[in-house]
Amino acid sequence: MKTGAAAAAAAAIIPVLPSGCLRFSSESKTGYFESEFGISDALCRKVLAKALSRGGDFADLFFEHTISNWVILEDGKVNQAYSTIALGVGIRSVNGDQVGYGYTQELTEEAMLAAASIAATIANSSATSPAGEFTPLILENYYPLTGLLTDVPLESKLPIVQSTNDTCFDLSPLVEKVNVGFHDQQKRIMVITSEGIKAEDLLPRNYLNATVVAEKEGKRERAGWNLGGRKDFSYYTDDVIDEVARESVNRALVLFEAVQPPAGEMPVVLGPGIPAILLHEAIGHGMEADFNRKNTSTYSTMIGKQVAEPFVTIIDDGTNIGLPGSLNVDDEGTPGQKTLLVEDGILKSYMHDKISARHYGIEPTGNGRRQSYEHFIQPRMRNTYMLAGPATPDEVIASVDHGIYVEDVSNGQVKIGEGDFSFYVSQGKMIENGKLTAPIKDINIMGNGPKMLRNITMLANDFQMAKGGGGMCGKGGQGVPVGFGMPTVLVKSMTVGGVQS
Amino acid sequence: MNEEIYNLAKWAVDAAKTAGADDCRVGISKDRLIEISYRDKKPETIKEASNKNLFVEIYVNGRYSGQDTSDLRKESLNSFISNAVATTKLLAEDPYRTLPDPSYYEGRADLDLYIVDREYEKFTPDDRHNLVKTVENSCLEAGGDKVISVTAFVQDGRNESILMTSNGLEGSTESTYYVTGAEMSAKDEGDRRPEGYYYVVTVHKKDLPAPEKIGQVAAQRTLDLLGGKKIQTEKLPIIIENQNVPRVVGGFLSAMYGSNIQQKRSFLADKKGTRVGSNQFTLIDDPHLPAGLGSRLYDGEGLAAKKRIMIENGVLNAFYVDWYYSQKLGWEPTSGGSSNLIVPPGKRSVEEIMKDLGRGILVTGFIGGNSNSTTGDFSVGIFGKLFDKGVPVQSVAEMNIAGNHLEFWGKMVEVANDPWTFSSFITPSVVIDDVVVSGA
Repeated sequence: MKTGAAAAAAAAIIPVLPSGCLRFSSESKTGYFESEFGISDALCRKVLAKALSRGGDFADLFFEHTISNWVILEDGKVNQAYSTIALGVGIRSVNGDQVGYGYTQELTEEAMLAAASIAATIANSSATSPAGEFTPLILENYYPLTGLLTDVPLESKLPIVQSTNDTCFDLSPLVEKVNVGFHDQQKRIMVITSEGIKAEDLLPRNYLNATVVAEKEGKRERAGWNLGGRKDFSYYTDDVIDEVARESVNRALVLFEAVQPPAGEMPVVLGPGIPAILLHEAIGHGMEADFNRKNTSTYSTMIGKQVAEPFVTIIDDGTNIGLPGSLNVDDEGTPGQKTLLVEDGILKSYMHDKISARHYGIEPTGNGRRQSYEHFIQPRMRNTYMLAGPATPDEVIASVDHGIYVEDVSNGQVKIGEGDFSFYVSQGKMIENGKLTAPIKDINIMGNGPKMLRNITMLANDFQMAKGGGGMCGKGGQGVPVGFGMPTVLVKSMTVGGVQS
Repeated sequence: MNEEIYNLAKWAVDAAKTAGADDCRVGISKDRLIEISYRDKKPETIKEASNKNLFVEIYVNGRYSGQDTSDLRKESLNSFISNAVATTKLLAEDPYRTLPDPSYYEGRADLDLYIVDREYEKFTPDDRHNLVKTVENSCLEAGGDKVISVTAFVQDGRNESILMTSNGLEGSTESTYYVTGAEMSAKDEGDRRPEGYYYVVTVHKKDLPAPEKIGQVAAQRTLDLLGGKKIQTEKLPIIIENQNVPRVVGGFLSAMYGSNIQQKRSFLADKKGTRVGSNQFTLIDDPHLPAGLGSRLYDGEGLAAKKRIMIENGVLNAFYVDWYYSQKLGWEPTSGGSSNLIVPPGKRSVEEIMKDLGRGILVTGFIGGNSNSTTGDFSVGIFGKLFDKGVPVQSVAEMNIAGNHLEFWGKMVEVANDPWTFSSFITPSVVIDDVVVSGA
């Protein structure tokens, strides 16, 4: 991870809002690229015309100006700060399912026309024309802010980071090393399409994270925790600092007591919140429409069919307030929305970008995302979650004689085509005779996504979204922030792998 | 050397000093990349772009920060740098944060690394399309009626960079690269659609294998996944296929970094000069390898690059220690990161070794997993081929291996003669004995 600078560095580059305009309304998101970089509608029309000069179905421009800052503590002092500024425009021409793409960091007419003529090479017929006028899209606001993150001075971030460190050390004499980071990012985008859509947005993203190394009787363990999302700076209260410190320390300390469970096939209870990474990775990716359009996903023949027990409902949602995957508008101008993927066990919809929606003859679902102006659009998840069921968490655990309870997983990987996945269980417990017993460590759980979905036999009533802000999903070399959530879930059988097999 | 970025770097060093920095390091990179992919015998994506990026690290009053930007308008850069300096002053003092002693810049080799393809400009758009079409067609043909989807791609680029410090370092680098390959998705039993891929990276176009071959290998690797199933948990010898060795050695390497050692996150911290693997385990860091993908004359901090035997016949010789952690640890700096990593090849082919091993698994891929740099414990999913006396028995998937790095590399009994050269980590296949492979 690259880190970043101080708000002060950024503040001089981003124009400060007119005084008195503290509440950041959707209106103040508009006009930024025109006022700061002279990007007029007339110029955009010219560039789009160039992008369609050899034909094609549509073209779009994606302008981005992103400022990212990191403040880092190591060995007790906030002694590193990093910042990154990304500025550029990506120009896309689409011809059926074919994409031509050029981008430039210079927002000059000459550079943009050159990038547009590269994009145009994807088609080979006669020119088509962009819309004569661009209609600004009126957007909902799923990440309300009281002020710009770039206006928050470094002096306000330093005590948060320092205090997280100090709290960790106060919590246990076994704490040996603490690393703390505070990250904030402010991303301004403008999407202009040849169909006449103009959408502008300002996306915040931030999180506070800590990693703790503890030492006991010559053994060392490490764990961490983070909180954040698309939050306002006011989110970072003493309670948040306390939770980040306490969870980091407790998670490291519990590993001293942890045992490695015997390996094999067994029932697995996934706790609420974070274990929904499995839902995202092992099931969600297979429902992204590009894999289905190309028939490479196991779900490509399953629309309208039963893929889970009738009490299972899965949603992908851009409209949650302040979550990492929330989107007022996606990166190709489709407004933020909520998409029902699985309803009562039946697969209802894939997640679409414009290309896949045209392929299936339906409306896009607002899942067209990209890492930055350097990348083209892919269908991607936003906040993906499974709704709660009727059982209590205790009932779910009590139903298992011998198995494991998973509280946190990391380093997961899935093979979309087979659906096979492997995840490392970083926090969890044994279940013996219906009770949670010893903490566990150093194991992987392996399985198959579609099979796991069919094997979910109980859902509890304790639905939770994961509260971390650092979650990034990678696909085709592009990372985008995502959220996920789930209640306590019973999977009737999964492979647990460890050393003592 | 590119004068435009050299002059901009020089300007940025002066601007940082003028803004009040005691010292600074500036890097500028400029590159052009072209990428084409084909699917269904027509272009799926065509992408082309130029990038320019500037980073500056500021040292002022014993304080430190780093910034980078793609907004290279002079007026933006001026405020970018002066704000960077102002910001840095607000941080806590860190006595270890300095530019390297310039004596470590000295001794840079006077070598041509052969990392620029002089023929690069002759690679035309038509050449690219023809190359990727050939890769696609050969993959489709070799995949036959099992093919669900094939995507073939080519990417190439040229990079120029400058590194400069206020205490006398100047470095410039130019390089080219080519990447080409294919991924295929295949029909299997039930709903399974295994996906396999193969790609290669080279500095010179002439070093790319025949495109027909690349497509065929991609198809074969996918077909090899068909029918993959787990077997009963068993203790077996495994052969880790050459191109997959870096994934599992990576967990070991992370414990060799100065940052992890100083932050008490390394199981190797006190192991220098001691045995950390079998005598088959040798790892060389060679920055001067001709046409190597990791070749360089100086590292990211400007330290002159030197060849080092990191692990010699199982004994740990050296760590990766950058300037900052060298100051914190009170150790000599080496380098903040690897260049070309080389595991010297053995004498026998994988096929010959398989015949002698009896029952074993050829690991052709890893999935998920974890490696704990603090304890050396790791656990990772595997897939590959079960064989018996050299004869394939079945494809295996959804299985897991786990252990501790110190024990695992201690069981490395043989190194094959098949170094895979399309990476900066050049290693042959390796044989590890007595591994518990857990499955059903």
